[in-house]
Amino acid sequence: MSGDATGADLTGSRGLQRIREGTYGTVFFVFAVLTVLTTVAILLTLLVDALGFFSGYSPIAFLTGTEWSPVIRPVSFGVLPLVFGTLVVTVTSGLIAIPIGVLTAIYLSEFATVRTRSILKPLLEILAGVPTVVYGWFALVYITPALRRTIFPGISTFNVLSASIVVGIMIVPMVSSISEDAMSAVPDSLREAGYGLGATKFSVSVGIVVPAAISGIVSSFILALSRAIGETMAVTVAMGLQPRLPTVQSATVAGLSVPYVNPADVFLQPGQTMTSAMVQIAQGDLSGGSIAYDSLFAIGLTLFVITLAMNVVSDYVTERYREEY
Amino acid sequence: MATEEETRGGFGQVSQLRGAAFRYVALAASLFGIVMLAALLANAVFDAFGLDAASGSWYLAYAVGAGLPALVVAAYGYRNRAAGAVSLRTLAILVVGTFVALGLAVMFVIFDAQAWFVYYTFAVLPATATFVYARSREDARAPFLATGVLVAGAVAGTVVWNVLFTYPVDWTIYLWTFVVPAAAAVATLYRRRTGSGWRRAALAGLGVVVGGGVVGFTLQATGLLDPGVGIFLYLTPVLPAVVYARDVLVGREGRAGLLAPVVLAAGVAVGWLLAGAIGATGPESWLDWQFLTSPPSQTPTQAGLYPAIVGSVFVIVIVAVVSFVLGVGAAVYLEEYAPSSGPLGWLTRLIRINISNLAGVPSVVYGLLGLAVFVNLLGLGFGTVVVAGFTLSLLILPIVIISAQEAIRSVPSDQRQASLGMGATRWQTIRNVVLPRSLPGVLTGTILSLSRAIGETAPLLMIGAPNTVFSPPTGLASRVSVMPLQVFHWAFAAQEDFRVGVAAAGVVTLLVVLLAMNSMAILLRNRYQRSA
Repeated sequence: MSGDATGADLTGSRGLQRIREGTYGTVFFVFAVLTVLTTVAILLTLLVDALGFFSGYSPIAFLTGTEWSPVIRPVSFGVLPLVFGTLVVTVTSGLIAIPIGVLTAIYLSEFATVRTRSILKPLLEILAGVPTVVYGWFALVYITPALRRTIFPGISTFNVLSASIVVGIMIVPMVSSISEDAMSAVPDSLREAGYGLGATKFSVSVGIVVPAAISGIVSSFILALSRAIGETMAVTVAMGLQPRLPTVQSATVAGLSVPYVNPADVFLQPGQTMTSAMVQIAQGDLSGGSIAYDSLFAIGLTLFVITLAMNVVSDYVTERYREEY
Repeated sequence: MATEEETRGGFGQVSQLRGAAFRYVALAASLFGIVMLAALLANAVFDAFGLDAASGSWYLAYAVGAGLPALVVAAYGYRNRAAGAVSLRTLAILVVGTFVALGLAVMFVIFDAQAWFVYYTFAVLPATATFVYARSREDARAPFLATGVLVAGAVAGTVVWNVLFTYPVDWTIYLWTFVVPAAAAVATLYRRRTGSGWRRAALAGLGVVVGGGVVGFTLQATGLLDPGVGIFLYLTPVLPAVVYARDVLVGREGRAGLLAPVVLAAGVAVGWLLAGAIGATGPESWLDWQFLTSPPSQTPTQAGLYPAIVGSVFVIVIVAVVSFVLGVGAAVYLEEYAPSSGPLGWLTRLIRINISNLAGVPSVVYGLLGLAVFVNLLGLGFGTVVVAGFTLSLLILPIVIISAQEAIRSVPSDQRQASLGMGATRWQTIRNVVLPRSLPGVLTGTILSLSRAIGETAPLLMIGAPNTVFSPPTGLASRVSVMPLQVFHWAFAAQEDFRVGVAAAGVVTLLVVLLAMNSMAILLRNRYQRSA
């Protein structure tokens, strides 16, 4: 290697040496602690400004209000329409990504040849590498018009469905790669025991490997959904900026009035998530002090708490239900 | 598999149908996302190059002119495997080289060629020469000497930069700063490969330089193409292709494959002639040189991405420096220094858990952090280069740390023990053993994280970065827009030409940059895996 190996160090002063060793250790320690400081700073900034918001606006009205209009007077900061928007996108994208992701993981871990795997895995990684704003643009410019031409002629330019589809596509690799890691970790002795009992490849995959890897699979679901909740640009571009709750209609079935929500009212219309509401406020006025500015941090705190909780739950599931081999 | 065996014995029938159906459903699921993305990308490329403006006869002309020869080449390469491999490799060299050449050309639109000339001549060249010379003498002080020369040269260069006002033409600068070193490399390679004397090697090197000069002169005289771009094209696709062709010709296997690019190029030329002859209308591409070098505009045909490209470069340089230093430092601490017990051990565990949770925090929240801390608390200004750089650095820091940790962990511990056993201190072991061995892995992880930072939009919106700026940033305190922000802006434009055409050109540019970065990371990883 370079110079030092040839000498100099044996004759070097020990005291200076020790100081140098200590300095490097301390500097690296400070770098590592910086990551904890980042978390503390995130928490503090969110809490301080969110507290500022809640001192001027009741937390109960925030959490239960059904109207979100941060700029147009009279201002109203009911977070429910945003939570609803986030929830719909998360659930719908999960419905797309979870089955596809799990099937992909099963295929990669149980069926695919080494060569197929080496081609498919990098391609799947690309899905996660495309910038989210590009996904949003895809949804707006290609997917929505395609849906309008084919299945839903009445679909609005900005709508929940196409946003959910692209979010679903982008979280597939998350489900598939973490699930596949879990399935690959299942020892071959379990599979061979299955074959020894006369099970088919299908039964071994679905009946033995999947249950044995279930903790990893479930934690991949949670992580992927948490990613969908925090997803910002795709929903901002494709879903529009109208916070709305669907109108509850009622139908009379056998003399009883049954409330229902028309799915078209939810999926084919614009909506707004917590994240895109933040973008909308940030596009307006960002000079601190106004209540709209503080509301940014109130939503941010809500988002942070939800995603953090999901990550912690995912860690817990992995630890608690892991099968030890 | 198991199913076939079972059907034979006396154990009754087991249907293979369910298993086979499941297998294909799973395969279809694996392909679903990939196919979707491929279709969307194909659409974007179609729109970016304005292919819908092209008439049917244009496609027909090119199908006949270029498509048929391509089919012939493919069929021949399939039957003659050696030739096929050679032709694929030649084409890959040409395509990758062309991208590198265009990348270099864009870099010199952004950075001043004359400043590069001065600093190269006074700092980079002497420092490299010093390093190579000292290394060849096995002088252990090579890095220090080279650094000294570099610093002194930079000072001298700055002085010269302030007093010198006449400079050679740009393409001669490129000839001097790129082609001449490449010629030296070719000469060395030639000597090593053929075992011939210095004289013939020097002649080969001279030939390379003269070739570059001829290209530059011809282009300057005829004005067919910018001579600078011509020099880059000569440097990155042509020169390596010639070197490779020479190796193949000497090796005598699959020599016919070398003809593939010629046949394909001739095919395209025939297509072009045919299309011209029948008067077919060609595509109206949004993505062209003008798009890459002009500022945004109200008119779609004049709109460009230039300030956003420069902005992305500025931001990414800051992110690369900050996140690499902090990330590798933190990873070294966690893997090499951190105790596993005592109060510090507890803190280390906290740091580890915290890093994995930070990686899951949504990017908008990082934007809020940047807004509150860098903009409002420290007063670094709304949407400036430095704020954007710091915010994105914090965002990718957890990923950089995690990947650097993995790379450091993969260094075998007996190498550490050997170094420590020789009497090296911990820091000497890290610097001479651990870091060099883990560097490719660390770099791969960093590049992949950087490509994530390039595509990030949401945190930049939070810190008040403008969607559109009309001039590139001039320093750390200028407000900056980046490529994805500009795409975001165009996606909401009222005019269809902006929303579809210009935005598609922006998307394709962004994705090409990402693809280049990712392939670089994958190349690094493959080399690393082979050598490890």
